[in-house]
Amino acid sequence: MILELKERIIDVLNLEELTPEDIDAEAPLFGEGLGLDSIDALELIVLMEKYYGIRLATASEAKPIFRNLATMAAYIAEHRTK
Amino acid sequence: MIRVLSTNITSPLGMTTEENLLAVRDGRSALLRNERPWGLPFDVCASLFSQEQEHALLQESADAREPFTRFESMVLHSVRDALSHTDIDVSDSRVLLILSTTKGNIELLDGKEPVGDGVFPGNTASRIALALGITTKPLVVCNACISGVAAQVQALDLLDSGAYDYAVVVGADCQGAFIVSGFNCLKALSEDPCRPFDMERTGLNLGEAAATMVFASDRVPGNGGMWHLKRGCVRNDAFHITNPSPKGEGCFRALEYVTDGISAESLATIGAHGTATMYNDQMESVAIERAGLSDVPLSALKGYFGHTMGAAGLVETVLTMESVAQGWIPGVAGYAESGVSGRINASPDLRPTDKKSFIKIMSGFGGSNGALLYTMGEADSVAMHGNGTYPVGDMPVARHTVRITSETAEVDGTSIPLSCNGKDMLTELYRTSSSDYPRFYRMDVLSRLAFVAFELLRKAMGEGTLSGCDAMLFNRSSSILSDRKHQGTISVPGEFFPGPATFVYTLPNVMLGEVAMRHDMKGATSLIILPEKDSTLMSQMVYAAMLKSSCPDGMVAGWIDCPDENEFEAEISIYKHNHNNNGRIDT
Repeated sequence: MILELKERIIDVLNLEELTPEDIDAEAPLFGEGLGLDSIDALELIVLMEKYYGIRLATASEAKPIFRNLATMAAYIAEHRTK
Repeated sequence: MIRVLSTNITSPLGMTTEENLLAVRDGRSALLRNERPWGLPFDVCASLFSQEQEHALLQESADAREPFTRFESMVLHSVRDALSHTDIDVSDSRVLLILSTTKGNIELLDGKEPVGDGVFPGNTASRIALALGITTKPLVVCNACISGVAAQVQALDLLDSGAYDYAVVVGADCQGAFIVSGFNCLKALSEDPCRPFDMERTGLNLGEAAATMVFASDRVPGNGGMWHLKRGCVRNDAFHITNPSPKGEGCFRALEYVTDGISAESLATIGAHGTATMYNDQMESVAIERAGLSDVPLSALKGYFGHTMGAAGLVETVLTMESVAQGWIPGVAGYAESGVSGRINASPDLRPTDKKSFIKIMSGFGGSNGALLYTMGEADSVAMHGNGTYPVGDMPVARHTVRITSETAEVDGTSIPLSCNGKDMLTELYRTSSSDYPRFYRMDVLSRLAFVAFELLRKAMGEGTLSGCDAMLFNRSSSILSDRKHQGTISVPGEFFPGPATFVYTLPNVMLGEVAMRHDMKGATSLIILPEKDSTLMSQMVYAAMLKSSCPDGMVAGWIDCPDENEFEAEISIYKHNHNNNGRIDT
């Protein structure tokens, strides 16, 4: 699941210069770590719906879920509808 | 300085300036909830033309030779109504047409290959010019939300430079699945009528409209006009491509420029952008307080018209101007209690005024901010910059030039060896020229092309930086690659997943936001779309802008066009002032 998520994030965010091994599942996705920004957060909201059928209404609702890859994977495992 | 001869607003609230003014005075809003419009999977609160209004506009513009689109028909109605109150001969070579739009005829993008010519905004402008009998080459100002204000600045600069005597400036945008799906995936839309600057605001509403302002240069005597556009400018935040600077940096500096030497007490109102998004209104309040304008009555019109995008700068300028002329300031529809940290003077109620000047501001994607100062009455002592034309032999000169095609790259005439072509070549150029900016990989191909061209130009300058420069870019293909990509994400039923990053790049001026961030360029940034590359017109515009520039290091200007991933062209130069112009010393 973590690997699949890494590959999808690299794909949707055009992180062409990274490989899945470069991403630490426990490192923060935003600010430090991967250094993603607010548009990326919205892009991840689309990813959640497109691949896992999870709808997040607002960016603030998504904030704790998108803390790092591990929190994201745990949330998907629990809530996915596809 | 230029003066306003005539105006029109065409919106769901009315087909003339007077009808719109009356509607706003009476507190009527055009914002309505629409159930799943254009087959979208959600409801949309927006200001849209009714079927009857749309039919009437299409009927009016109908031409036996070729039909006009929705977009073109509202533009034609607006311009024709405005021109009917003037005696200008529009076929004269001293008359210019400026179209302000973000997406023009985007609804013609239907997934078919090749993309029809009608989609390209420069071609749309040419069709409109032809229908109106305007014979000079038109230009399209495409600077996201601030387009309508930037188009007025363009008219001011070009008329002051002496290049034209009259400018017909028209702004318009139609709403449809393309734009609405994009703003929805950005989580920017409010389900209810928007509430600018209010504690309870939750986002913006989109709207459709066209609006026209006909300007005359003050060099041209006679033919009326009591409002003067005295100053106008654009300033970039150099902060982020979508989020405004939290300190309102660009907006503040634009306000500082237009209010220099003007007392806050002399201003009837400051016409805010007031989209009712969290970030925008907060940023504007900070900029207004920093500029010492907290006590000036604030107006914001999105609660009546929605955000009419390319039309907004013109709709809101005209409405503000005409209301102030009648002695009142519109109430801020949707506002009850301040929800911003900067101190502002807003009210939901109409307020009287006896003052004769106002300021209009706008901010938008690509980091751009614009401000205008209008004053009613006789021309006075606010100085015009220079004598309007560069003395012969003193034209700004290109100091360095970068040329890139899909197969070649050269700096000041020297070729760079390359091992591949097309999109991959841009990555190769990025790796060999800078390679310390991973954001490069996130950009669309148009922005990558601009980014690499600016990197090479900066390197050609040796020790110098671009931070003290303005930038003016031109193209033909707008953001067609990202447009097609976005359209592809909304066309297939059941596969409706528009992406925010792709949508952001459907605003072609975002490439200027990218390079402004990279090089900390906080001056003016503008994107102009033309029907075709036209070096004479481009030089004329660069020189006109440089006459007004307050950037000490000149301007980066040129052509950045990307019709296809593997077929593109960039040619940009850095221009320096070559003379001493009104105290602004050059190198």
